[in-house]
Amino acid sequence: MATLVLDNGAYSAKIGYSHEKVSVIPNCQFRSKTSRLKTFTANQLDEIKDPSGLFYILPFQKGYLVNWDVQRKVWDHLFGKEMFKVDFADTSVVITEPYFNFTSIQESMNEILFEEYQFQAALRINAGSLSAHRYFHENSQELCCIVVDSGFSFTHIVPYCRGKKMKDGICRINVGGKLLTNHLKEIISYRQLHVMDETHVINQVKEDVCYVSQDFYNDMHTAQLKGEDNTVMRDYVLPDFSSIKKGFCKPREEMNFTGKYKSGEQILRLANERFAVPEMLFHPSDIGIQEMGIPEALVNSINNMPEEMQPHFYKNIVLTGGNTLFPGFRDRVYKEVRSLAPTDFQVSVVQPPNPISYPWEGGKLLAENPDFDEMVVTREDYEENGHFICEEKFDI
Amino acid sequence: GSSVVVSIVLLNSLPLDWASSLIQRAHCTTLLEVHNKRWNYVLLRVAEAGQRRVLDDATRQRRLNRQLDALEKDNFQDDPLSSLPPSGPTARLPAFSEGDEPGKKKRKTRGDHFKQRFRKNFQTLLEEENLSEREEPNYLSAAAPPSSLPPRLFCSVCGFPSPYNCCSCGGRYCSTRCLQTHRETRCLKMTL
Repeated sequence: MATLVLDNGAYSAKIGYSHEKVSVIPNCQFRSKTSRLKTFTANQLDEIKDPSGLFYILPFQKGYLVNWDVQRKVWDHLFGKEMFKVDFADTSVVITEPYFNFTSIQESMNEILFEEYQFQAALRINAGSLSAHRYFHENSQELCCIVVDSGFSFTHIVPYCRGKKMKDGICRINVGGKLLTNHLKEIISYRQLHVMDETHVINQVKEDVCYVSQDFYNDMHTAQLKGEDNTVMRDYVLPDFSSIKKGFCKPREEMNFTGKYKSGEQILRLANERFAVPEMLFHPSDIGIQEMGIPEALVNSINNMPEEMQPHFYKNIVLTGGNTLFPGFRDRVYKEVRSLAPTDFQVSVVQPPNPISYPWEGGKLLAENPDFDEMVVTREDYEENGHFICEEKFDI
Repeated sequence: GSSVVVSIVLLNSLPLDWASSLIQRAHCTTLLEVHNKRWNYVLLRVAEAGQRRVLDDATRQRRLNRQLDALEKDNFQDDPLSSLPPSGPTARLPAFSEGDEPGKKKRKTRGDHFKQRFRKNFQTLLEEENLSEREEPNYLSAAAPPSSLPPRLFCSVCGFPSPYNCCSCGGRYCSTRCLQTHRETRCLKMTL
């Protein structure tokens, strides 16, 4: 009896058997301009020779699973003989869902897992709950923690106490990696080069050159300087998919500050874009979104919690999700929360070594937990009781 | 709001064609025409040299909302599959919206209602949840409240901090050079 842990994200699926290691695979389908008839699924992305103008087909919309056609195709591929070769009758699955998932989606999920794929047993859970479980496993003396999950679609701030999520403290900021990439595409297209069709390439640019500023107005000032004094500016070489397969940032020694480059490479010159884009996580109002940023939302959530728990939350802030990988993210969150929190409270912000697979690791621990068998719903349970049993047992 | 300069041109004694060419040359727009037994006049909005159209707050908000919605898109180009010429006698090509391989009968018997149910978009599903009837906390109540800090303002052209905004559309700029770029490329373009 094996357990498959699947952190089903809007951008990537983190999947693996609990006794093996995790794989991070795109959770979508692709179409390319060059081979138009073929639709590539998930990690078949690596087979595409010319990913320019890559067309994305995502099962998720605004963070919720709405397109089951596409999701089933991805899952068929992941569960099939090319990947995990799942023996459904002998496998339990731990699968993640977004907070406040819609009832209709939860019911569709039940049907698909039990009636279509016919898993032996299933556990549906929020990714943040798996992160909390993982955190408490390593910090067993702590009672409370607050999880920041900043992913592709949005960012959630969720307080946990003794393993249970505190629903009144859940806060959702509608800024995620997708917004950051689209905004970066827009400003590059307006200022330098038309890249609106190049989501894949600009996403890579974002991950390679963007960082979180520790002193915003100071960096803004430096970014306006000319020549070598402008320590913020970087030149990024775009891929042409023939000689340059993957884009890269030119090292500072090779940068040409005075004239133009002689070689035939396409270069993007990025200065304030490098830190202005991730700044949207801290100040969504920069772009016109009337919501608090992450540090303010953290303090807001904690203030909604019972007074005696508040110091414990400040001491256990956990950062997860792909957006936390921007250099300087953790330090900036610490700095801002420290200045907003009461002086006599201790503030501690922790970023695990791998924020993307942290929930998956929590799922692995859960599968190995002796209480696991009581937490799942088996296929027999579902066939006898229907959706009701899932509503009862799962805390979504 | 915007102020409108109006001019009433009495047409009673003027030949009609002369009057209309005068109006055209002065770059005016006609707001109202009155032709009755007693009066023959035209109410005009006179566009003075250098005066530009000014957008009101509602239009500015609509523009902002449209920009924010555009940031939610998955793709800005069309599906490569949909741009193929339609297949005639070649029934072997897969249907455009499906991408299924032909001949595979695996889950075909599930029926259309299955597919219909699993293809609703986000907005429909959200409305079906009927959250206004449900107790809190829920998806809607979990949305982050507005920040208590004032928004920071950046030039819409170069991204650096900007003290000024464009009179016509509210777009921000930091210097006269950026204002010029703004006027040429973005101001009042694509406005509802």
